Amino acid sequence: MVVVSMITFAIFFLVPRLAGQTPELMAARYVGPRARSDQYHEVAERLGFFDPIHVQYWHWLKAIFVGMEFNYGNGVEHCPAPCFGYSYLRSTPVWPDLLERVPVTASLAIGAAVIWVLFGVSTGVISALRRGSIFDRVSMGTALAGVSLPIFFTGLMTLVIFSYGHPFRITAPGSSYTPFTENPAEWAYDLILPWITLAFLFAAAYARLTRAGMLETMHEDFIRTARAKGLAERAVVLKHGLRAALTPIVTIFGLDLGLLLGGAVLTESTFSLPGLGKYAVDAVMRQDFPQVMGVTMFATFFIVVANLVVDILYAVVDPRVRVG
Amino acid sequence: MPMALGSEPITTSDTSPGRGSESIKGRSLGQIAWSRLRRDKAAVGGGVVVILLILVAIFAPLIVALLGHPPEEFHQELLDRTRGGIPTGTFGGMSRDFLFGLEPVSGRDLFSRVVYGARVSLLIAFLATLLSVVIGTVLGVIAGYFGGWVDSVIGRLIDLVLAFPLLLFAIVLVGVIPQSAFGLTGNGLRIAILVFIIGFFNWGYIARIIRGQALSLREREFIDAARSLGARGPYIIFREMLPNLAAPILVYSTLLIPTNILFEAGLSFLGVGIQPPTPSWGQTLATAVRFYNLPHYIFWPGMAIFITVLAFNLFGDGLRDALDPKTK
Amino acid sequence: MRKKTVSTVATATVLAMAMSACSSTPNNGGTNAPTPEFNAAVGKIYYESDYKGGTLKFAISEDWDSVDPGDTYYGLSWNLVRLYARSLVMYRPAPGPAGLELVPDLAESLGEVSDDGLTWTYRLREGVKFEDGTPITSKDVKYAVMRAIDTTGTLQNGVGIQGGYLQAILDLPDGDYGPYAAPGQDVSAITTPDDRTIVFHLKQPFSGFDYIAMLPLTAPVPESADDGVNYKTHVVSSGPYKFESYNAGVGFTLVRNENWDPATDPNRKALPDRYEIRLGVAADDIDNQIASGDLDVDLAGTGVQSAMLAQVLDENNPLHARADNPGSARQWYTSIIGRTAPLDNVHCRRAILYAYDRTGYQTAYGGPLAGGDISTQALVPPIPGYQKFDLYPAGPDNTGDLDKARQELAECGHPNGFDITIAYRSDRPKEQAVAESLQQSLARVGINLTLLGHPTSGYFSSFTDEFIREHNIGLATNGWAADWNDGYGFLGAIVDSRLIGPGSSNLGVNDPSIDALIDQALLEPDLDKRTAIWSEIDRKVMEGAFIVPGVWSKAVTLRSKNAANVFVHEAFGQYDYMAMSVAPPA
Repeated sequence: MVVVSMITFAIFFLVPRLAGQTPELMAARYVGPRARSDQYHEVAERLGFFDPIHVQYWHWLKAIFVGMEFNYGNGVEHCPAPCFGYSYLRSTPVWPDLLERVPVTASLAIGAAVIWVLFGVSTGVISALRRGSIFDRVSMGTALAGVSLPIFFTGLMTLVIFSYGHPFRITAPGSSYTPFTENPAEWAYDLILPWITLAFLFAAAYARLTRAGMLETMHEDFIRTARAKGLAERAVVLKHGLRAALTPIVTIFGLDLGLLLGGAVLTESTFSLPGLGKYAVDAVMRQDFPQVMGVTMFATFFIVVANLVVDILYAVVDPRVRVG
Repeated sequence: MPMALGSEPITTSDTSPGRGSESIKGRSLGQIAWSRLRRDKAAVGGGVVVILLILVAIFAPLIVALLGHPPEEFHQELLDRTRGGIPTGTFGGMSRDFLFGLEPVSGRDLFSRVVYGARVSLLIAFLATLLSVVIGTVLGVIAGYFGGWVDSVIGRLIDLVLAFPLLLFAIVLVGVIPQSAFGLTGNGLRIAILVFIIGFFNWGYIARIIRGQALSLREREFIDAARSLGARGPYIIFREMLPNLAAPILVYSTLLIPTNILFEAGLSFLGVGIQPPTPSWGQTLATAVRFYNLPHYIFWPGMAIFITVLAFNLFGDGLRDALDPKTK
Repeated sequence: MRKKTVSTVATATVLAMAMSACSSTPNNGGTNAPTPEFNAAVGKIYYESDYKGGTLKFAISEDWDSVDPGDTYYGLSWNLVRLYARSLVMYRPAPGPAGLELVPDLAESLGEVSDDGLTWTYRLREGVKFEDGTPITSKDVKYAVMRAIDTTGTLQNGVGIQGGYLQAILDLPDGDYGPYAAPGQDVSAITTPDDRTIVFHLKQPFSGFDYIAMLPLTAPVPESADDGVNYKTHVVSSGPYKFESYNAGVGFTLVRNENWDPATDPNRKALPDRYEIRLGVAADDIDNQIASGDLDVDLAGTGVQSAMLAQVLDENNPLHARADNPGSARQWYTSIIGRTAPLDNVHCRRAILYAYDRTGYQTAYGGPLAGGDISTQALVPPIPGYQKFDLYPAGPDNTGDLDKARQELAECGHPNGFDITIAYRSDRPKEQAVAESLQQSLARVGINLTLLGHPTSGYFSSFTDEFIREHNIGLATNGWAADWNDGYGFLGAIVDSRLIGPGSSNLGVNDPSIDALIDQALLEPDLDKRTAIWSEIDRKVMEGAFIVPGVWSKAVTLRSKNAANVFVHEAFGQYDYMAMSVAPPA
């Protein structure tokens, strides 16, 4: 986490500086398009852009834990802990924005995850058990196509077919996110297309993974042993085969979910969902560096947590890792 | 998400290392693999398409000279200017003259743009893959050969890189780089940055696989033999280990290329990739979004990405099956 | 009073539900709903109605600078702000040219000017109140103006920014002023003899001061509620509606302000009960939702997107009758930056003006209807003083006169052309299309353009001398809408060479004789003579070939299915957001 925070910081402060940006030019981006050039130096000074790099890093890091105050024009702006930065362009702290967008991204990621795990894993298992059957061929062909399609292309296609074209319009896309707590039906209705789009890609990848894993484990010695013991085939498959094959999938699932929770950038952009990923893209377009930094740190946080959870789950699913 | 595709090699890496098997007597592994690959129709098809695509990219100017119009030439006379500059002909103006129809507003030849788009796409994907493979192989071999604390440090590094929110970092990095830097400007700079970012954050999978393979190779008799004959580290790494790692390196570079193509397209789609008027598939798609009522405009660049990625995936899958001794 | 309020709200909810139920059925023609037709809301009111109640739903694809009346510089915002903020003076809410007339709003009458022309006095109406019931005084107006022109530049977006009109006109002290820079200081440039009177003291006579009094920054702000930039999160209303909720970057809702007294306000009918404004809705989705009746207005007011455009301009499409095609006092053009060689030579600049493809420029903006009419000069038709002329005829098909261009190039000493860079806003597809079109058409005479995209944010402030030199920038796409509809309100900020510098919208017009004419126009008390000077300035800008004219902006907009009292207000070139109301239920 520390390393990640340093890298994040480096990207924002060192890279532009190395590439020849002066503190004044950085400040110019912060004070907005209509400020006069003679104010840049002053603003840059006020924002601490002339401090040594390690001081700037320390300030930024400290702000996350104890909050920070920004001397910016009219008096002082407070940015209470956890202060993930303060957007000078918008004159707002970043943290509340992030909190506001987490539910959107989480709804998208978790909803899609349920779909893709259900479809992906079951398709993979059936394909593996009926290797070479028509089902296997069709589903694996579809899966290969699925992982080869750019998600923004599938997303556009679903939009064009199901939404923009009025006759089939099944949902209002674009920012029409309704919180679950407000109206669960509308929540699901607004998210259905992004869910399907995102889940299709992942289901395809997971079906391929599950199938490969199952094929491999079904040839393992312990499966043969289980069969030899006279266990029913159903029990062999579910209790032994699937369990072993699932172990690596759990790892990947954790990492994928962690990544998505940090912002499903392309999906959110395609469907204009106001989640973390869209936030990041918009902030980059506006060159609002504090916002970008905040959202990047936040996303990394999810990934670190996901890694931890995966390690724990691993112990549960894989008997070999069980301690004691 | 393109990054999800990268998740595939993880499993393979978790299951395949340490299972190297002997080649069947009389035929080298390469010969066996070749004969297997030839029998895999899907892989052969993928391979043929891949070669065709590379040829298309290389001979883009020739193809366009024969079948199209220069990719940046306007043909506004073929547009309905009163209706926002959409092509007058049916199906976006598709005809023998304009195979894929015209781009609205500018009237540029979509066929030429898609053909030229292959250049950017493949160039970036290949260079980025090369960078990943070099970094990944070097670090993987070092970790696998030396083991111990070197291995655990590199192992940590691999974990870190694999955990990076890659796409997010990429858009951010491209976003903060000014218009000119490091002595480069314009699209030269863009391509360099894209290659660097995609390549530099994508070496984790390869490194993990190579590390696993190298670890198992280290324990093998011929390495011991070389060592007892007095061979030193570099000799063993370059002369004994690398040749034996060629197969997994080849397979995973082939599988990394489509991931990188999707990645570049995604970045261009988000507007942080190649800058106009240089054609790029992702960017064309991003523009086409605004003209969703003109299906041809979305269809062709979308299909170009799809076919390219599919071909590389088919070929890579076939290559893996052919080179993997387990599939008998 | 209170009881009545509750029942109104209840009725409104029922009606709103009825409305939305209606909108899903294909035909919701009201009892006396007129038949829709193309341009039915341009120059006249479409569907006049006194029906009170209902909700109007607005949306926009991005966010604008601020809802703080003192911190905003967008036409759409000035249009919308009238719902919750009352400036001293306003445009008459009427269709056609009548809308350009100024009428008193918070003030009882237009400004009274002293004999020497140096003081302008306004008297507030009796009984005007803030949303919390406190009376509005002239001190609140003075405070609002001072915070907007504060020398710290705390409010960075509004018209009050440093180097703007107010600094040029008001007799302000040297050094710091404003409530943030100099708290407690009293500035004699604005005085408040009593609670209802406010007097502005000018440096020199300025006959158009009522236009200044029209700016949203004269809307009163209570000092106790002001906390600088954050005021936008809790704006205190002086108009018929107040903020019910404000969600930064997401949207806000406006509801009736019970302390607004219709008797003090002859201009606002305040018919709807509620306004819902959503931000960040995908632009194409906004079009589709307006078409289906789920939304009423695209706040941006710049017209429908390309995909909807093709449908709307198809005369066989039922949506055609719901479209309007208003023009606005805006020009999309490209600045020629004379600091970059060889554009320091007027002949090289003229070569560009002869060589570029005007129809290509127009097509890049969407063609004659969606983009606008081809422009050949700096002024646009809605501005008094506009007289059509064309110094650089571009041949019969308007695609450029290449022979003339080559002649000019030869005179400039670059017979084979030259290489320069064009900067454009990379997040604006139309400007990208313009840059690509210019690249194509100028290449015909050997002028080779390199494209340089830059985000809209920070676009103008990036034009430092170093930036221009480093990239060899000779052209930069630009666009300008009148701050108000007279020569100064349109040209003042874009042709005065003394403003050139990072952050200024004037990127290239650099001619001391134009500056002298501007000063002369400001002092000229006679309207006709003043107008004539602006015409002369217009001609001089073109003689010097400082800009590549693009289009006089028009837009194809989609009229709401559910709204009444719809008309395009000429001052904004958009539907009048204040006058629009909900159509009576069928």
